[in-house]
Amino acid sequence: MVKFGIEFVPRESYWKIMYYAIQAERDGFDNLWITDHFNNRNVYVTLTTAAVYTNKITFGPGVTNPYMVNPVFTAQAVATLNELAPGRVVLGIGAGDKTTLDSVGVEMQKPLTAIREAINIVEKLINGETVAYEGKVFKTAGAKFLFKPKGKIPIYVGAQGPKMLALAGKIGDGVLINACHPKDVEYAVSCVREGVKEAGKKYDEVDVTAYTSFSVHEDIKKANKAAVPVVAFIAAGSPHQILERHGIDVEKAEGIKEALKVNDWGKAFGGVTPEMISAFSVCGTPDMCIERIAELLKSGISQFVVGSPISANVRKGIDLISERIIPHFKE
Amino acid sequence: MKDLTLRNMIEAVAIDKRELLSEKLADLILSTKNDGKMPVELANSILYYWQRNLLLAEQGLTTLVEAAALLEPEKTTTILTELNLPEIAERVKQTSIRAEE
Repeated sequence: MVKFGIEFVPRESYWKIMYYAIQAERDGFDNLWITDHFNNRNVYVTLTTAAVYTNKITFGPGVTNPYMVNPVFTAQAVATLNELAPGRVVLGIGAGDKTTLDSVGVEMQKPLTAIREAINIVEKLINGETVAYEGKVFKTAGAKFLFKPKGKIPIYVGAQGPKMLALAGKIGDGVLINACHPKDVEYAVSCVREGVKEAGKKYDEVDVTAYTSFSVHEDIKKANKAAVPVVAFIAAGSPHQILERHGIDVEKAEGIKEALKVNDWGKAFGGVTPEMISAFSVCGTPDMCIERIAELLKSGISQFVVGSPISANVRKGIDLISERIIPHFKE
Repeated sequence: MKDLTLRNMIEAVAIDKRELLSEKLADLILSTKNDGKMPVELANSILYYWQRNLLLAEQGLTTLVEAAALLEPEKTTTILTELNLPEIAERVKQTSIRAEE
């Protein structure tokens, strides 16, 4: 049965995120993902608070990256969290985004190698091993925890490109696919399947997750309005081949990009087209969202993550998803 | 009336009105840009009652009114007036005026 996850961005105060986390858990969501960006509030502080305020929901960073946060620290953080909330912790890790890394002067070197090595180090440390690691990106010289980590922590790899998707399928317990449109998800899943096959695993051993920009409202105009800012940023950052795949005018996307650079929100958001909303979000009335999720499930995903903006009114949006959408797939 | 605490006033709110009041106040504080004004103790109290599904009970609803009144006094007064809770609206208004003075 498909799992439902929900993502929150700790740009919001901790108490708002915890209000929504408690609500999401009560409303039947399976997973809680907290984003990790240096310019927002700290992901592990937020997750620790979530561990205290929730009882059964699975949670983790969605996603951290090994360039900003050394894998040794990541392993320590999730192992400690797993003591607070045994069996409820997962780790989402990806290569990060270049713009953010550039802004703090951190180089995104060898992303495939970095992710492979980082996961290797994290797994060994969580297993209580002493790690002397001579990687191409990361090195440790006999690192070992002075406490004994307990339990298994599933590792999800955030991936977009074909090679990272295949690697995710190969070495991950789960894959977080940043895509919303069936065409993109279907392609991504085919790459994941290659990695799974190469590793000699069964496909259903991997929790293949569509991590989407989501906006639901009974009023389609309100759903669209809430989706527009998020879609503007995604369209502006998408490679031309992705835009063309969805029949999106590249010049329009470039126009949005330029407007965003100078904080001209009116022009940027005004440039978002229905094609962009369709390509880069799951957006609409509950019935429309159900239709899109059903299409995505056909590709072979096992978790659907409701990401920002969720709804014009997040509290009502969570209830709407719980009352109208989740039951359609779980009952 | 002057001697009544906010909690006493909220105790008198009809059960069938509490859900709507609670939802409107929750929406108000969750959407406010003044979240920096929220005292940590009050935020934690709200989460305590929310976690136990007690935001409709007197204690929980009182924390919501207190928070809404601190963060968005005018909008809180409007909500209370619309829900025909004039005594509580007046209390919030007076408290807000005293805080400004």
